[in-house]
Amino acid sequence: MPRLFLLCLVAILGLAASGVVRAADRPGFLRDGTLTVCTNPTLPPMTFINGNDLSALDGFDIDLARALARYWHVAARFETMDFAGMFPSLAAGRCDLVISGVLKQRAREKLFDAVPYLESSPVVVSNGSAKPVTSFDALAGQTLAMQSGTSYAARIETINKDLVARNLPPIVIQQYPSEDQVVQQVLLGRTRNFLSQDVELFYRSAQLGDRVRVIFTPRMPDYEELAIYLRKEGQERAALTRAIDALRRDGTLERLEHKWNVGASARNALGVTTSRRRFDMPVFLSALFSRAFLKGALMTLVIALASHAMAILISLPIALKLNAPRSLWHPFLSLYVGVFRGAPTLLQLLFIWNALPQFFPIFHESWFSPFLATWICLSINESAYQVEINRAALRAIDPGQMAGGEALGMTTGQIYRHVIFPQALRVALPPTINEFISLLKTTSLASVISLQELLFVTQTQVARSFQFTEYYAAALVYYLAMVFVFLHIQKHIEKRFVWASRNGGGAHDA
Amino acid sequence: MTPNSPPDPQAAISIRKMSKFYGDFLALDRISIDIARGEKIVVLGPSGSGKSTFIRTLNRIEPHDSGVLMIDGAIVDETTGLTELRGAVGMVFQNYNLFPHLTVLENCTLAPRLVRRAHREATEALARQYLAQVGILEQAEKFPIALSGGQQQRVAIARALCMAPDVILFDEPTAALDPEAIKDVIGIIDTLAERGITIICVTHEMGFARHIADRVLFMDRGCLIETAPPDRFFTAPGTERAKQFLAQLIHHE
Repeated sequence: MPRLFLLCLVAILGLAASGVVRAADRPGFLRDGTLTVCTNPTLPPMTFINGNDLSALDGFDIDLARALARYWHVAARFETMDFAGMFPSLAAGRCDLVISGVLKQRAREKLFDAVPYLESSPVVVSNGSAKPVTSFDALAGQTLAMQSGTSYAARIETINKDLVARNLPPIVIQQYPSEDQVVQQVLLGRTRNFLSQDVELFYRSAQLGDRVRVIFTPRMPDYEELAIYLRKEGQERAALTRAIDALRRDGTLERLEHKWNVGASARNALGVTTSRRRFDMPVFLSALFSRAFLKGALMTLVIALASHAMAILISLPIALKLNAPRSLWHPFLSLYVGVFRGAPTLLQLLFIWNALPQFFPIFHESWFSPFLATWICLSINESAYQVEINRAALRAIDPGQMAGGEALGMTTGQIYRHVIFPQALRVALPPTINEFISLLKTTSLASVISLQELLFVTQTQVARSFQFTEYYAAALVYYLAMVFVFLHIQKHIEKRFVWASRNGGGAHDA
Repeated sequence: MTPNSPPDPQAAISIRKMSKFYGDFLALDRISIDIARGEKIVVLGPSGSGKSTFIRTLNRIEPHDSGVLMIDGAIVDETTGLTELRGAVGMVFQNYNLFPHLTVLENCTLAPRLVRRAHREATEALARQYLAQVGILEQAEKFPIALSGGQQQRVAIARALCMAPDVILFDEPTAALDPEAIKDVIGIIDTLAERGITIICVTHEMGFARHIADRVLFMDRGCLIETAPPDRFFTAPGTERAKQFLAQLIHHE
């Protein structure tokens, strides 16, 4: 017996030495043969969309995830989403790891395990002419921009308590949803300083040049390492630590630090002068005619059309029931309409995407895509508005029409189909198209749950390139073009209802 | 005929003690009458007397609550096929109730196509024939809104005729028309009467009633008060209420 045990031990050691990872050392979440990683690709150089192709994920974190997958001999798959969506997704089991330039912080480690992989440092950055400072005291009373959804704000609040205790004015916190917008506030001169991580700033140095400079590198214990996050389960953390250690030993991590310019050597890179034009026409035009924008606009159009079509299907029976004499259905249907008209659409999207899977585990699964979630959410939301339009349109039809049809022996269904609906359509159409145009713009909210519609595409491009004006302008052109097309269709359709106007009544005569 | 005699299967319409309630309100109070095939009936009475309700029960647009309604020898109740009933008993409304989104011709062919599943060509030929009869064939391709009131009511009559009914109910067909149009529409109803269609007409046109009716029914507060040939009804009404009604009419005219 002891001999057999020894043999096994030798065999295991031998395999490990030859670089082959035994199945026993693989974390349990790889059971399906895929490493699924949640990432928010708006944080170059860690994780971002490189180029005009939306599927071209790139960055230190992406390379690291691929290296891990190779190490474990599994395939790597990425789920891209908003920062706020990543940890709920991890908890919900939509991904195995969060690798997205996230700081190792104690508060997060209460809920998830973290394995550090890169040293980082918080930096306070100001405009190019600012003088270095040595403490937060020097920033008292000044504005400081930072990304929302991070814990920077909470950290600065504690510093503010200390400042106020010493009769100093507090630092004025301004939060923006993405890092590129944070930087933009300083470039525009709206804010004097922003708080960020050095790894990101190194990458930005080419775009920002000497327009900004690091004025302060504070010591902040919770902000000095980036970590991979995973669910607290079994021995997963130990297995991941071993894998990271192995990648460090074989030089993979060092190679990546070099490639992405995030190591210690990069710290002095800021300060290279570059010039930038105010509006770069070629960039705007190439964005306008890029596949990414075209696909984004198409996604916007498809989700709006699909949602509105479903909304009309849902709203029609509800409108008919609500217009009929009071029944048991009434309070429930009124509640439905009230709830979905009352709650903000953004909240409904976040609820369906992040909260629903906690009640019904079936929504964790990968078939429940951002598209499906958005479709369901906008269909229900829009149907609540459409109910009111349909009710008004049906009420506008003279009750004599029903009597007229009945007297001719037509069934109720035939009367609705051939008499009531065609007339109600004329009444309902203008407000319905107005609703649709509004819905077309509302779809931009779905960028928060990572639907790759027009605004999402725009934001990823801005995060990569920092060229706000050009990409915003390209998005604007697409939205306006789509809206104008539908306004034109509306006009055209209204002209077709000749039967409703006395002048048009004789049109068939000619 | 008495209220207690059995309904007459030979009559076009045979009614015994038929009542109708709207909630607690008694709209029709135990009406009994036989109407012969081809007979022209005019229903008179003050507003709110139940005239319209009465004729609407005959094609079950308003179902009656008690009593017996027999049409063409068959009892009408909740088991009656409404499609067949309404095919046999057509109706023309005060406000025409034409379908505004369809042309005159389509108004006439919609129900025959849907209800009778007749072919388009056959229904159109028939519709054009009836439109010619009511004198508006040249308007066939127009939408109702382009027509005058009198023309619209003629379309409504042609539309009802396209279902080839045995009985046509007229619910104040001339009430929304100007005097010139009234004459037209009355003339058309007259020709229908000559062709043997049973006609039951609610109206305030006394001249028309006198001219066309085989019998006048006088109603008040849901009750059938008096039934008489027009010359007797207008010259020597048998009831006090009919006398008052006629006196008021003369007063107004």
